[in-house]
Amino acid sequence: MEQLVESIAQRVVGLVIEAIDVNALVSKVDMDALLANVDVDAIVSKVDVDGLIDRVDVEKIIDRVDVDKIVGRVDVEKIIDRVDVQKIIDRVDIQGIIGRVDIDALVEQTELGTIIAHSTSGVASEALDLIRAQGVGLDDFVARWVNRILRRKSDDWPKGPPALVASLATVDVPALPEGADR
Amino acid sequence: MTAPATVSAPPTAGRQGNYAGAVTRLVAFAADVGASWGIFTVSAAALTFAIGLVSGHTVNLNDGRVTSLVTLFCLIVWEFIYFAYQWSLSGKTIGMAVLGIRVVASDGQPITGRQAVIRTITLPLSFLFFGLGFLGILLNKDRHAWHDRMAKTVVVYSWDARAARLRWLAKQDPSPPA
Repeated sequence: MEQLVESIAQRVVGLVIEAIDVNALVSKVDMDALLANVDVDAIVSKVDVDGLIDRVDVEKIIDRVDVDKIVGRVDVEKIIDRVDVQKIIDRVDIQGIIGRVDIDALVEQTELGTIIAHSTSGVASEALDLIRAQGVGLDDFVARWVNRILRRKSDDWPKGPPALVASLATVDVPALPEGADR
Repeated sequence: MTAPATVSAPPTAGRQGNYAGAVTRLVAFAADVGASWGIFTVSAAALTFAIGLVSGHTVNLNDGRVTSLVTLFCLIVWEFIYFAYQWSLSGKTIGMAVLGIRVVASDGQPITGRQAVIRTITLPLSFLFFGLGFLGILLNKDRHAWHDRMAKTVVVYSWDARAARLRWLAKQDPSPPA
């Protein structure tokens, strides 16, 4: 008997469902009114968010993300154009940063001391070269005038002590840069 | 880097070992006189100050009496030491080092202590007769002054002008090597 009733009920329900126009039925439902009656906070409070998160396999999701593809779609230039660098710089306390730098330690750990020493010696060396070059130039000038006054030629004179003087007729020097004063 | 090329030596290039000219030698000597007198003056002032502190009396090293003679004697000794010691040590004084010249024996060998002493003692002789002894620097083939001839020494450029020129060229052409 129960089986008969159950089969009849199933048959009736099937016929009812087939007869119902669900779309027409849904269109008649006032969704706003329905949602207004729903207590969302109560539903949310019943949800175990932590449990939900624990069940999510984040590593698996990350593995499936193609980071290169995402980065490739990012217009970096456009982002940089939108960054106000001056504003960022204005907010940086440069004096504070410099004040925190241990200059002595920096000099000790880097070649800065050597660079400063080289630079200083370079300047001194240049000054000496300049003074000496001026002296040599004046020596030649005076010697030329003395020879002119005495009407003599000194081309065949010894340049210096034989042990010291090498062949000085020509020397190999790199070609001068364009526009340089020879 | 520009390609190397063989070119005629510029006026100041490759002078190392050549006889030094009159102007460079004169300027070096003037620098040495200034340096030696400066050191002597500062030392004398320090000595005077120290004596004054210890004895409580003001000492004048140039009072026109015996003290002046002593000062003059000390000056002569000091000048002798200044030149002879430096020449025997390295063949160059402070002024000569600055100007890039040095004294060597006539054959180019390093100067001996004996030559340094003879050169120092005979240096004043070149000042006689209005500096007639220095004329040889301008007129002689080997640029000998009187004291050079007596000590058998010559003055040469010790400054490597060519290296200086290459340094200058390197700064003018900072292009990286290929």
